[in-house]
Order: sequence, then C-alpha cells, then structure tokens
Amino acid sequence: MSASAARLGLIYRNEFARTLARPLFWVLIAILGLTAWGLSSGGMQISSGNSAVGGTKAWITSEFANAKMFGLTIFCFYSFFAAILMGMSVMQDEEMKIGEILHATPLKPEEYIRGKFLAIMTALLVAMGAHIVLTILFNHIVPNAKAIEMRGPFGLLNYLRPALIFGLPSLLFIAGTSFAIGERTRKPILVFVLPVAAILVSAFFLWNWTPSWLDPRINRILMLIDPAGVRWLSETWIKVDRGVDFYNKSPVGFDAGFLLSRVAFAAIGIGAVAWGERRFALTLRGGGVRVWAAKSAAAEPDQVEAVKRPATLPSLAQLGMRASPPGLVRATWDVFCFEMKEIRSQPGLYLFVPMILLQTLGTSLVAVGAFDTPVLLTPGTFAVRTMGALTVLVCLLALFYTVESLRRERNTGIASIYYTTPARTESILAGKALANSFVGIVIIAATALGGLITILIQGKVAIDLRPMLVVWGLCLLPTFLAWTAFVTLVYSITVNRYTTYAVGLAALCLTGYLQAIGKMSWVGNWDLWEALQWSDMGTFELNRTALWMNRLLVLSLSVFFTVAAVRFFPRHDRDATRTVLRLAPSAVARGALRLAPFALPPLVLLIALWVSVQQGFQGDAQKKHTKDYWRQNLATWKNAPLPAITHVDLDVVLDPAHRSFQTRGRYDFVNQNDKPLAQVPLTGGTHWQDVAWTMNGAEAKPEDRNRLYVFTPPAPLQPGDSLRIGFRFHGAYPKGITKNGGGNMEFILPSGVVLTSFEPSFVPVPGYMEEIGIDKDNKYEPRIYPDDFYKEKLKPMIGTGAPFTTRVRITGPADFTLNSVGTKTADSLKAGGLRTVVWDSDEPVRFLNVVAGKWSVKATDETAVYYHPGHRYNVDEISEALQAARHWYSEWFMPYPWKELKISEFPANAFYAQGFPTNITFSEGIGFLTKSDPKTNVAFMVTAHESAHQWWGNILTPGEGPGGNILAEGMAHFSTILLMDQVKGERARIEFCKRIEEQYGDRRQVDSERPLVKIDGSRAGDESVQYDKGGWVFWMLLNRMGRENDLAGLRAFIRQWKDGPDYPVLQDFVATMRPFAPDSTSYDDFVKQWFFSVVVPEYRLSGAKSVPAERDSGWVATVHVKNIGTGTMPVEIAAEKGDRFEKDGKPSPLYKDARATVTLGAGEETDATIPCAFKPERITVDPDARVLQLRRKNALARL
Amino acid sequence: MLAIQGLVKVYPGPVSALQGIDLAIENGMFGLLGPNGAGKTTLMRIVAGLLEPTSGTVTLDGMEITKCPDLVWPRLGYLPQEFGFYPHLTGEQMLAYLLKMKGIEGPNRRETRDLCAALLDQVNLRFAARRKVRSYSGGMRQRLGVAQAIAGNPRLIIVDEPTAGLDPEERLRLYRLLAELAAERIVLLSTHIVEDVAVLCSRFAVIRDGKLIADTSPSKARAAIEGMIFEGEVTAGELDDLRRTRRVTEAILVEGRNRVRVHEPAGSPPPGFVPVAATLEDAYLVMMRDGNDRVRGGMVQAAPGGAK
Repeated sequence: MSASAARLGLIYRNEFARTLARPLFWVLIAILGLTAWGLSSGGMQISSGNSAVGGTKAWITSEFANAKMFGLTIFCFYSFFAAILMGMSVMQDEEMKIGEILHATPLKPEEYIRGKFLAIMTALLVAMGAHIVLTILFNHIVPNAKAIEMRGPFGLLNYLRPALIFGLPSLLFIAGTSFAIGERTRKPILVFVLPVAAILVSAFFLWNWTPSWLDPRINRILMLIDPAGVRWLSETWIKVDRGVDFYNKSPVGFDAGFLLSRVAFAAIGIGAVAWGERRFALTLRGGGVRVWAAKSAAAEPDQVEAVKRPATLPSLAQLGMRASPPGLVRATWDVFCFEMKEIRSQPGLYLFVPMILLQTLGTSLVAVGAFDTPVLLTPGTFAVRTMGALTVLVCLLALFYTVESLRRERNTGIASIYYTTPARTESILAGKALANSFVGIVIIAATALGGLITILIQGKVAIDLRPMLVVWGLCLLPTFLAWTAFVTLVYSITVNRYTTYAVGLAALCLTGYLQAIGKMSWVGNWDLWEALQWSDMGTFELNRTALWMNRLLVLSLSVFFTVAAVRFFPRHDRDATRTVLRLAPSAVARGALRLAPFALPPLVLLIALWVSVQQGFQGDAQKKHTKDYWRQNLATWKNAPLPAITHVDLDVVLDPAHRSFQTRGRYDFVNQNDKPLAQVPLTGGTHWQDVAWTMNGAEAKPEDRNRLYVFTPPAPLQPGDSLRIGFRFHGAYPKGITKNGGGNMEFILPSGVVLTSFEPSFVPVPGYMEEIGIDKDNKYEPRIYPDDFYKEKLKPMIGTGAPFTTRVRITGPADFTLNSVGTKTADSLKAGGLRTVVWDSDEPVRFLNVVAGKWSVKATDETAVYYHPGHRYNVDEISEALQAARHWYSEWFMPYPWKELKISEFPANAFYAQGFPTNITFSEGIGFLTKSDPKTNVAFMVTAHESAHQWWGNILTPGEGPGGNILAEGMAHFSTILLMDQVKGERARIEFCKRIEEQYGDRRQVDSERPLVKIDGSRAGDESVQYDKGGWVFWMLLNRMGRENDLAGLRAFIRQWKDGPDYPVLQDFVATMRPFAPDSTSYDDFVKQWFFSVVVPEYRLSGAKSVPAERDSGWVATVHVKNIGTGTMPVEIAAEKGDRFEKDGKPSPLYKDARATVTLGAGEETDATIPCAFKPERITVDPDARVLQLRRKNALARL
Repeated sequence: MLAIQGLVKVYPGPVSALQGIDLAIENGMFGLLGPNGAGKTTLMRIVAGLLEPTSGTVTLDGMEITKCPDLVWPRLGYLPQEFGFYPHLTGEQMLAYLLKMKGIEGPNRRETRDLCAALLDQVNLRFAARRKVRSYSGGMRQRLGVAQAIAGNPRLIIVDEPTAGLDPEERLRLYRLLAELAAERIVLLSTHIVEDVAVLCSRFAVIRDGKLIADTSPSKARAAIEGMIFEGEVTAGELDDLRRTRRVTEAILVEGRNRVRVHEPAGSPPPGFVPVAATLEDAYLVMMRDGNDRVRGGMVQAAPGGAK
C-alpha cells in the first residue's frame, strides 16, 4: 500500500472510530429504529387501496411505499445529524489544536479531507444500512400483528432501490455541502443553515404546495429541485391514484430527468467536498489571505508610535482599583452585551433573516384554501398559520446557538479564567439565554415583516400587530424559554456538545412523532403544534383555559429547567468519586428537596391539566360515557322506528360569556309508521344538568340508558297517534377543555354561538345516534344494500320524516343578534341587558339551528348576510350570490318557499358551512376570508353551493341509503356550476369545473371507488365522488339531455319526492328524469356508465400539426387522440388561437376556434382533422369543460 | 492564610494526581516546584475552585472553598497554565469584559477604559490594546493574562507557569509586579524554573507524583546541603562514570569540558572537585532524588528543613 493510501487510511480509521463513538450517532440509530417500528404499523401508507374491511390495502413493504418513506425520513432525520458530523469535523481538530501537529507531517490536505469525509460518510451509510435492516426487521421478521393487511412479500430491491435513489443523493448533498461550509467558514452556526433551510423549504413548500392551477413546467422544475425527490414521486406517481395493485407490485419508474437530478444532487455534494479540499489546501499554510490583512499589519508601526508607554508607571495600588462581586442584573447585562456582540459578528443571523423572510413571503403569497384558491390572510390567521414553521426554525436555531454559546468559553480556552470570576452562574446563563433569544426575536420580526408585506400586497386587510404579539409573544415565548432552558440543562448535565444536539433533536423528533400518531394532548404539547385556531371574532376562546394552563406549565418548567441548569452547570469539574457518593439515596433526596420548590409548580400544573383534559369533552371520561351509550343501546335501538316530529317549541336562554345555556321546550310527535310504537327514545347530552321531562303535560321519568332517554307511553302509540314530550335542562357547551386544541363543530362562546339539532347540544335528538361512541376500534362498515333496496319506502337521510313547524324563542345578550330558522316574528329588549327574539317557521322545516353573534348586516328585501364587522371584504359578493341563488334556483328547481334567506358568520372554531333552512351558517374561514378575484370567485362559489342546499337537502331530502347524499352534495355542486355560468359567465364556470375535476382526480381512490349508486361515504375518496364527481355527472347529464329538458326533469323530481313519506336515492332520480330525455337510448347509455359503473376518460394528444389548407386560405389542424382512460363520451377537440377570455372574464374578440367531435371508448384512438379559417396555436380537448376527465392539463398540444 | 489539608485527587483510571497534600500558606509569594505531571496544576485548579477534590479541604481565611468555590472567586486572581481569549475581541475589550465579570472598577465608575489602559501599561501591552486578540503572539497573550490576574485587589493570586513565552525583560517586569502584590496577599506561584522560586519566593513546596516532599524556604533548602556540593571538570567518558557512582546535580558543557556539580553528603568528593556554595537548584535536584529513592524504598520522610 502506498504511503499516501496508508495515511488516508489512518485518518479514515480514526475518524470512523470517533464518529461511531459519538452518542449523536447512536441517537440517530435509535430514532431510525423507533421510526421503523412506528411506521411498521402503517403510519405512512400510500393513499390507495380499498379502505373497506378485507379490501386490498396499500403495502408498506412495496417499493413505492419505501420510496416515500426513505425519501422523507432520510431527508428529515439524517440532515441535521449529517450536517453536525460533517460540518464540525474539521472544526473540531482546530478546537483541539491538533492541526499544527497533524499538518507538520507528510499528511497531504487531500488525504486529510478525503479521509475524514469518507469516514463520516461510511458511518452515515452504516446508519442507512441499519435503517434498512430495522425496517425489514419490523416489516417482515417481527411485524406488527395489526398491520397484516399492509404487508406484502419481502423483496430486497423494494428497500435497496429507494434507499439508493432517494436517500443516498440527498444524504451526499447535505453531507458534502455541510462539510464544505464547515471547512470554509469554521463557524458551527453556519453549518446548521443548510439543513434548516432545506427542511423549511421542503416541508413547508416543496412537498405541499401543489395548486391545481400551477403550470406543469413550473411543477416539473419544482420536482427536480427537491433534494429529497418526494415531490417528484408524489406528483408523478402518487397524486393521481393508479390502483393499489400497481403500487403494491410495480417498481417505481424513473424518468431521465429525475435520475439526472439525483445524480446532480450527489455531484453537488461531492463537488462541494472537492471545493472544500482545494480551499483547505490553499489556506493550510496561510495562503489565500487577502491583501487587506497585510495592509493592516503594515499599519501597526504607526499605531505603535502613536501609543507610547508613560515614562513612569503608577504602582498597582495607585490605580485605586475596587472590586466587589457584580450583582445579578449587572453581570447578566454584561454577559448579554458580550454575547450580542458575538452574535452580530457572525454571519449566521444575516443568512437566516433573509431566508425566513423569503420563505414566509413565498408561502404566504401562494397559500391556498378551498378549491385551491388563494387565502385572504389576516394578521391573526397569518400568525397562527406560520406558528409551525416558526417554532421548528426557532427551536432548531436555539438549540445550535445555545450549545455553541455555552461551549464558547471551553472552545476558546478562556474557561479557566472566566469561570473563576465572581459573576454568578445565574448571570452567565441568563445573559447567554437572553442574547440567544434575540435570535428568535429577530426571526419572529422577519416573519412579521413578511406577513405585513403579504397583507399590504393583498391590499384588503388592515395592518394590526396585536394578533402577532398575542400569538408569538404570549403563546410562543414560553415555548422558546422552556426549550432554551431545557437545552441548557441537557448541556449542563452532559457537558458534551454532540450529546446535547442528539438529545435536542431526539426531543423534537419524539414530539413530532407523538403529534403524528395522535397521542399528544395539552399536557405534553409544549410547542403548541396544531393546537391553535385563530378567529378574528374572538381570541382562542374555545381553548383559552387550556392554553393558559399549558403556558403556565411550560413557563414553570422553564424556571425549573433553569434552576436545575444553574445547579448542574459545569463551572467546576466534578470529582468522579464524589459524584458516585452523591447518588446515594440520602444525597439524592437532599438534592431533590432543594429542587422541590421549583419542581412543585410544574408538577401541580401538569396534574391539573391532565385532570382537565381527562374530564373535558374530548377526554377519557367523555369517551367512557359515549362508549357506554353505544354498548348499552346499539343492539336494541339501532334502526328502531321513530315517530315523526310535527312541531318544535323552544325557549333557549344563552349566556355566551359563561358558555352556558338553558333550554325549555317540547316536541310534538305523530306515529307515521304502519305499526304501533311502544317506546320513544331521545338522545340527550352528557353535559346537561338538572334534566326534567314531561310526557303529554305530566311529569315523566324516562329510562335513562346512558343518556338515551326511553319514554314508554301509557299505551303504545298507534299509527296516527300523537305524543308530546317536554324537556328542561341547562348546561355549558362544550363542557371543559379540548384534548389537544383545535375546534369544535358547535359551541357557545363570547364571540359566537352555533347550535344545531343534529347533535344533542341544546335539544334532544330523536332516536339512537349511531355515530356516538364509535372510534377506530369499534368502527364497523355500513350496511350493504341489495341492488333493489330503493324500491322499498326509504326513510329520510336526515331528520325524522315529514317537515315540522317550529317556534324558537331565544334570549341572549342585547348586543347579540340571535338567529334561527323561519321568520323573525318578535324582537324585544328586556331588563338586565337581554334581548328576546322569536322565530316562527313560515313553512315547515326538517332541522333547526340557533346562531348568535355580534354582527353587522347587509340586507336586501329577500336576503341578509350577518358578518363580523372586520370581515367586510367579500360581503358584497356573498350577498350577490345569495340573491342570485334565491332567484335562479327558484326559477330552475322550485320557488323558494320561505320568506327569509340569510347567512350567518361564525368563529373559525370549525371550518365548514351548513345549509339550514333559511339560516345558512358559514365559518369565517370559508367565503369571508378568501382572496376572491374575478377568476376564482370563491366567495360566490361557496355561497352558491350552500344556498343550493335549501333545495337539495331541505326541500328535497334524499333517502337513507347509498347514493342518497349525492342528491344533496353533488346537486349542490351542480347548482353552483349553473349559477356560476348564469351570473359570472362561462370562464368562471369553466374554472370551477376544472377545479372540482382536479380535486376529484387528486382524491379518488381507484380501488375503493364504486358506482355512484353504491356510494355511502364510508370509504376513502367517497367524499370527492359525492361532491365533485356527483356535480360533474349532473352537469354532463344536463348537456346530454339538453338544458330545458333537464331542468324540467329536476322540477318534476322535486315535486314528486319532496313531501315523502318515501325519500329518493339516485335510482329514483334517474327513473324520474328518463321521460324528459329526448333520446332514451343515449340517456340509458349515459346513466349506465356514470351512475352504475365507474368510468372516467383520460385523453392524450400526439402528432399535432397544422398545415395550410389545400383549397382555400385556411388551415387544417390534425391530431391523434387517444382515450387512455375509461368511459365513452362524445368530446370536442378544438383548434384554438388566442386567449379565450380577457382579464375581466369577458370573451375575447380575438379568440378563434374550430372544433370537431370524437367519441372514444376505453383505449380507443383516432385521428381528428379540424379545418380552420385561421392558423391555430394549440389543440385542446373539451375546451368548454363538458366532459369529466383525468389530467386535463395533459390533453393539450401546442402547435 | 490558605490552609490545605489532606488534599487527595484521584482521576478515573485510576490516576492519583494528589496523594494527601498539607500546606499552610501565609501572605507572600509561595512557590510550587515539581516536574511535569507532579500535580501542581491539579492543586492550583482545586485551590482556584475549578476542580473538586476527591477528599481533603482547602480554606482561605477560614472559608472552606472546596465545597463552596464561589467563595474564593471574588478574592482570586488566576493565571492558568493554558488559556485562551475570545479571538474576535480586542485586548482592551477582552480585559474590560473580564474586569466587569470580576466587578472591578477604577476610582471613578466611568473610567473602566482608563483602568484597562493602565493595566495594559503595567504589562506593556498598551500598544496592542485595539488589536484583536487573535493577532496576538504567545507572549502578548500571556501578558494579557497577567493583566487580568493582577486586576482588582485579589486576596489570593494563583499564577501557573507565568513566565512562559515572556522575554527576559518581561519576566523581570512580571517579577516586580508579583513582588509588589505579594506584600499584602498570598501569591501562589507554580513553576518548574527553580530560578523563579529562588528570586521571588520566601517559601516553597516541592511536589512529586502527587506527594509533598518538601515545604521549606530557599535559604533553609540551601543550608541543608551546604558543604555537600562539589564542582569539577570531567571528560564525557568520566561524566558517565560519575553519573553512575555519584549524585550529579548539574552538568554543563564549558569550552568542551563538562563542568559538573555533585552532591556528596559524606564529604568525600571525586578527585579534583572543590566545594562550592549550594544553589537552590542543587537542593531541588537533591530533593527530587531523595524523594524518588524514598518513594521507591517505601519510605516517606520529612523533607530537609521542611514542615510536614
């Protein structure tokens, strides 16, 4: 072996052994092992497969699954460890002052650099190898018994290829560039910039931002610049479901571009090392020093001359020095000032600030919400939205800055002098902590600046710093204090930089893991990950108590950690023998007693918070209640016949300030069944107190079966007999705190009230409620209906039967507006600052709600929009949509039967809208806070959809059974299509159709999808079928039948089915519509494909060209069209020139097109010839968006 | 008074760095002599409160500082054997920071900068006050270290190998400073340069292999071997024989001949050797040999002229 190779080998062996001896390395192995074990239960599955019991599931052992897993985990977990190990390797030799000795030998710079890099890279590859082995172990050798459906046969290539193609290049990239940064800068903080930046950009942008309107070319670029390869995998293979068989059995197909990008990332990493090696060689013996350094040396003689020593020096005593130990505050300030100087002198901060500014601006400006439309950010929503990224970034930076700060004295060699000064340890640590927290403050300030710029660019929302101060100041500050104190404590105990990094990173990983698997609660959620939901209408009202307790807990923990850190800080080296003696029980007890006053507050708060979570409405106590309800009543009361409500009379008193209510009321029932009813069950709320009942006016004591109240009339209710049940109770809703933040569907809060008859929140719900007490352990599949189930009389999908009349009297604070269903017949002020409003139903309804808030109102003769005064932005558009909906839906479907139609805004404690009769409720995050523009019209879109439910859901209630909900949701989307077309024009309609089509394409599950008539909402992907595909199918049906025929059919359908007692499903719908179809053969073919089968075309164009026409001055465009999907539909192919619409949405006069129609079945292809009077620029399939298809963006050819 | 009683320090290994040191040190300069690895720095670090002993106590004016090292730090000026500074600060900034950490002020609170200048003058470093420490030579760093050690009014000054890296002129300046300081405080000087102890210290101790083998004064140490040191010239071949048969305390080459000093307690020197006055170096070397022999022989005896 040559001498050079021998020297390289020596460096390699030494560095490899040193790396393996580091706790950091073994913590990485432990994290990978835990991750492999956790994921073996199916935590990271491809979204494909049949979610039904016994259905084919996506295997976690497939190459696709491993590609996703390795791509994510190697990039997220290995990055920091690789950066630390690589970036610090040269620096460490410098700190140990071994460099001069080492490089005064024949050792060459390239041998040194290559030896180190190869050694650490080998260690990282050992870690990757261990990762693969552990994954195989937990997937195949000691597998999780519950995940048996998710495991396929063992294939070594399923693991090796993804690790090599996804993992190795990103590892080389991070490791190599970190090595170069460490060598070049010799500054630990800068080593951490790369992984922090990479994680930020990838996790919060590259992997998630995929709006449907993104140009495919830009999308492709983003795929190729993702170091992890995750975006490419998702966009190319996973986003549009190809069926579980494909993912389970096929290898990942790599395209040349992707492979080149992987090679490029690896090359960048290796190239960075080569550059570092060259630079190291250049500067090793003082080369490469800039001229200005030489100049400053030359200036010294002048300085020397200028400063002459005095001829006689005073004695030391004559200097009059006084010494007194510096006070706590003063010493803290002195340390802080010094540390600040150090921080400012380092380039790290100047890199992080623009990085976070760019990242914030970038993600905020392109943030998308419903239908991939831009979100209107307010200061509060922005502050909460960015909390996750901020927390991750600041915690990571705090980890690195704190450790390097604590190590600074030892690294520079001043420790012996520094630690023997009388400055207190508390001052030293506090001064450092304050200075390091300045980094966090700067990052927060940069984020705030990014947010303010975003809001200014939006141009709609007023600037307001208070929400940012509340969210980041009050909420995040304790997190950062506790985290910094924790890191300081860990370092004080371990006195090892790498161990502290390892523990810190492990803590972050563990926190993230617990969040991901749903095991987190307020007790452990120190970083408030996904716990907060901002509402402009009230700040954290739902979770305020829990938030206070959590923040106090975290603050008290930070005090405890700080005290412990001061106690253990290694200001002087401890004797090993005495340390052993200190572990004696008596010594430990004495030490514990000293720390007890500081450990007690967090312990007390922890217990209090834990008890509160357990007793809260999402805690174990409530779970037990609901489980007992289910256990006791399922067998007896599921599907038990119920009487129908004929009238509801309610008195509701609301006290939003105390989250409480009182209800007094009655239900009038009639037995509309064919048989007598011996008993009548009502479900009540677990939060009700002092519950009292009457039956036909007399006091009643129903059987209480865990809040299912069973009434037994003196004699069974005969068909047609009536019964009156009265009730009285009060309570707080929701009672207690959430488990881990988030929101709730219904609530009584100082900022607003939302209560519905769907839940036993403020009124009893007739019958047994199937969904109560169901969790993942006892969830069962829905009933399988026979194909002819619809021929029997079906119950309504929601409600008890025929609609009923209502009289609702609501009393609440005088400054609240109190809304319910029907028409307001009285509104009076009472003593004590109260108001009472009476709502009477002018026409019967099937459900009711109570909504209250402090609103402004935009009212017309027929509609009203109740909105938060600060949310004026889209009110005009919402009002326009509401009026248009009332007018046009009345014309198209049936005259609107009620007098009022209103929308009421509620706080974003939940993100939904519900179409109750006359009283539609909108979350503030839907419609009111969207960045609506002429192209997207989101506010209009959402209003149109929810308004349509007055007809599709209220007037016409679907039947209970598969396909029923499509008559509600699919029809609502269809109605929106019509209304967009009518009011906003064709462009808006086309845009909406494309967005819901894209949504369907993204969310469909090939293996789970069933025909529309079989959709019951139980499987993954069903929701998109109900909404998006359902809307499209009704739209295509209208185009097939002709508009007037279709609308006539719809009117007839409503007339026939709206009053019950039989309620319709899709089979009834298609039967009712058939007579209105001009061509019944065509109609039957359409229905068979789109209602009774699963089809969706996908078109591809090739060979597109245009040539001048032979005979005249025109052109002929030709293209080969193939349907690579399923279904047979006539579809237009258009040769186009120019932009079709102008910016305001009006048709452009310069636009030209010529069309041909082709009808292609699955796999069929043809050549289309389109004569044009102009020179076409492109060929588009289905330019008017009349045929549902997959990946429409690819059905375009440029000429 | 600085009282050290039964000080033991055992590092994991085990390595016995100190095997029971007892010393009582009054005001003045007290020297610690011993070869490399004797335990001098370990002893100094324990007294400075940077290291916890395995057993034993150290008290300063009645305050026990082994359990509460923060009691010694307000009263301490410490110059370690190996140390560094924050490289990005100037000498003045570095000194000012350390003065603040020590709570040291001039007569007027606003004149910390003037005080720094004066201190830097004391160590002849004023010219480089505005230069970053990373550009300092080894000697300049040492002088800056001295400046911070002598600042304030420390009750106890510990200097570990203080003259390393200093040229002769700077050494003399440091000696004057330390002598001035020693008049009213305890100055603990650790060195392996016997000359420094001879010049500066009224008393000194000798440590070897963690044990105290002498606690005496330079004059008493010399007196203990007075009349037993003989000097002569020999050839290189004779020198080897002499080393085997006699206790040679010094052998230097002068004009090609080896001038040798031997310790002959019995008073029978080699032929041609004449009696000369004993130096402290002679005494130190004799102690080293005596100590070694006694350790090898399993006997620990009181060092000549020294307290136990």
